[in-house]
Amino acid sequence: MAGVWVFAENYDYCLELLQIGRSLADKTGVQLTAFACGDKGIGQQYIYYGADQVFILPPLAEDQPLGTYVPAIVEAARQEDPDIILCAATLRGKEIAARVAAGLNTGLCSECIALAINSDNKLEMKRVIYGGAAMQTLTCKTRPQMATIPPHTFTPVTELDDTRSGIIKEIGPISSTPVKVLAKKPRAKESGDITRSRVLVCVGRGVEKEGDLKLAGDLAETLGGDLACTRPIAEELHWMPQETYIGLSGQKVKPELYIGLGISGQIQHTTGIRDARVICSINKDEDAPIFKISDYGIVGDLYEVVPFLSQELARLKKK
Amino acid sequence: MLNIIACFKWVIDHEDIKINPETHELVLDRAGYRISDYDRFAIEEAVALTEQYGGSTTAVTVGLPAAKKSLKDALARGPEKAIFINDPAFHNLEPSQTAAILAQSISNQEYDLIICGEGSGDLYAQQVGPRLAEHLNIPCASFVRKITIEGRELIAERRVDEGIEVISMPLPALVTVLPEINSPRVPGLKDTLSAAKKPVVEITASDLGQTFASCLETVEIKATTMERNCEKFGAEKDELKRFIDVLCRAGVVD
Ligand SMILES: Cc1cc2nc3c(=O)[nH]c(=O)nc-3n(C[C@H](O)[C@H](O)[C@H](O)COP(=O)(O)OP(=O)(O)OC[C@H]3O[C@@H](n4cnc5c(N)ncnc54)[C@H](O)[C@@H]3O)c2cc1C
Repeated sequence: MAGVWVFAENYDYCLELLQIGRSLADKTGVQLTAFACGDKGIGQQYIYYGADQVFILPPLAEDQPLGTYVPAIVEAARQEDPDIILCAATLRGKEIAARVAAGLNTGLCSECIALAINSDNKLEMKRVIYGGAAMQTLTCKTRPQMATIPPHTFTPVTELDDTRSGIIKEIGPISSTPVKVLAKKPRAKESGDITRSRVLVCVGRGVEKEGDLKLAGDLAETLGGDLACTRPIAEELHWMPQETYIGLSGQKVKPELYIGLGISGQIQHTTGIRDARVICSINKDEDAPIFKISDYGIVGDLYEVVPFLSQELARLKKK
Repeated sequence: MLNIIACFKWVIDHEDIKINPETHELVLDRAGYRISDYDRFAIEEAVALTEQYGGSTTAVTVGLPAAKKSLKDALARGPEKAIFINDPAFHNLEPSQTAAILAQSISNQEYDLIICGEGSGDLYAQQVGPRLAEHLNIPCASFVRKITIEGRELIAERRVDEGIEVISMPLPALVTVLPEINSPRVPGLKDTLSAAKKPVVEITASDLGQTFASCLETVEIKATTMERNCEKFGAEKDELKRFIDVLCRAGVVD
C-alpha cells in the first residue's frame, strides 16, 4: 500500500506524526501507515488515532539498538513504494531516517518545520539553514519524499475513535546488526521541561562563574520561571544540564517572557526563541546582536542589574 | 594502528551573511569560508585517537575547487595527509550527493574508522555521516561524546533522547561526533608551516566515473526576520523601574 508512512521511536511523537500524516494523506487521497515498534496493542491504538495500516516491527533484544530496524524499513519501502515517509527527529530518528534515505537513494529534508502539498501534489517542505538566518523551501524529486520532524512541531492527535479498523501487518524478521548496546544511562531528571515554561531566564557566557548562576536563579524564582542557557554553558562549561540549552541544536521554546543575561545573540541561539512572546536582554555591550531581536533590552552589567531587578520585583510582589 | 578518515566541509561563514532588506534574499557573494565548526571536533578526535593508539589520519573534503584553501587549515590540525575531491560541478551539493561522492572516493581506501561532525555549520542536515556508512555498508553511531578502541572493537557513548547509550561495534565503522567530545587544539605557526608540506591527493568528478544527481529541489531561500520592539533601557535605577513597569503592562510579570 503506497501512501504516507510515519515512524517515531515513541508513542507521543507518533501521535504528532499521525496528526500531520493524516492531513497529508487526506489531501493526496492516500492511506496512512504507522510503524509500531514491537507491540500490537500500540499498533491498534495508532489505528484508533487515524492510521489505516500499521506495520508491527519485531521487538528488539536488550542489546539491539533502534537502528536494527533500518533494513526492514528499507525493504518494506522497496516493496510498497510509499509516497512520503515522515520520521520523528529524535537523535536516533535522525540517524535512522538518513540511513533509510541512503538505502532508498532518495532525498530527505532534515528537521522540517512546515509541510504542505503543492499544486503538483508534491510535498513542499521548509527547514532552517545557515544557523537560523534563512528558511529553505524544498521539494523532493525522488521517491519516497522523506522528512524528519522535530518533536513538538505538530500537536498530537487527541481524538480517539475506537470504532476505526485497519490492517495490522507484522514485518521483518530483523537480522542482527554488528552494533550492540552495552549499557543505557537514562538522564537523571535534573530539570523540568523548558519547552513548557511560561517564563525563562536564560544565561550566557556573560555569567563569569558557576556560582553566579544563583543570581539568575533568584530572578527566575521571583518571576515564577525556569532557568535555561546557551550551548556553551551546557556543553563546554557543563554548568547546566544538556536539555536546558536553547537554540538550533538545543530546545525551541515559546515562553511568554524570555530574559537573556549576558548572551551575545548569535543566530544559532536566537532561532530557538523565535516564538517567545516578549524577549528581554541584559548585555553590557550596546552593540550586542541580541538587542536587535529584543523587545526590551537593558544595556548594563548583569551583576548590577539583575540583583536590583530581583529585589524590585520581589518588593512589587509583596505589595 | 588505526587508519582514520576525518571528513570536513568548507562552509560559508554565517557571520558574513548579509540580507537584502527589500527582497529578503541572502547576499552571500562577499562572505568568507571556514572549516565547519563541528568538523574541527571530528579532525581533533581522529588525531587524538591516532596519538593514543598509533596510526594516521587522512582529512577528506568534497567541494568546489576554491575549497583548496581549506586544506592547509585542516592539515595544520594534525592529519598526515588530505584527499581533496573537487569539481566545478560540486556546487551546492546536498547531503545525498556529498555522501555518495565520499563513498565512491573512499571505497578503495584502507580505513578502520571514519569520523564526521554531527552536522555542518551551513545546512546542518546531519545526514552525510549515516548516509556514508550506509553506502559503505559499515556500522555507524551518531552523536557520539566518547570513543574508546578495544582491539578491533569501538566502544562509543552516544547521546539519545533519554540520556546516553553505550554501544560497541566492530571496525571499520563510522561515527559522528558532538562538540563535547574534545577541545580542538589551536594550530601554531609550526603546524601551519608543516601543513604546507603534507601530501594532498586530488580526485575530480571524472576520476569517479559517474555523476551524482540531486534528489531535492530548492523552491526558495528567504531570510528569516524577527520583528521586535528593540527598545533600549539604561542601567540606572529609574530606567530599571521603567523596564519593570513595561513588563507589567505587557502582562508578562504579575
Ligand atoms: C551549527 C551551530 C549550532 C549552534 N547551536 C547552538 C544552539 O543551539 N544554542 C546556542 O546557544 N548556541 C549554539 N551555537 C553557538 C552559538 O553560535 C554561540 O557561540 C553561542 O550561542 C554564544 O553563547 P553566549 O551568547 O552565551 O556567549 P558569547 O557569544 O560569548 O556572549 C557573551 C555575551 O555576554 C556579554 N557580557 C559579558 N559580561 C557581561 C556582563 N557582566 N553583563 C552583561 N553582559 C555581559 C558580552 O557582551 C557578550 O555579548 C551553535 C553554533 C553553531 C556553529
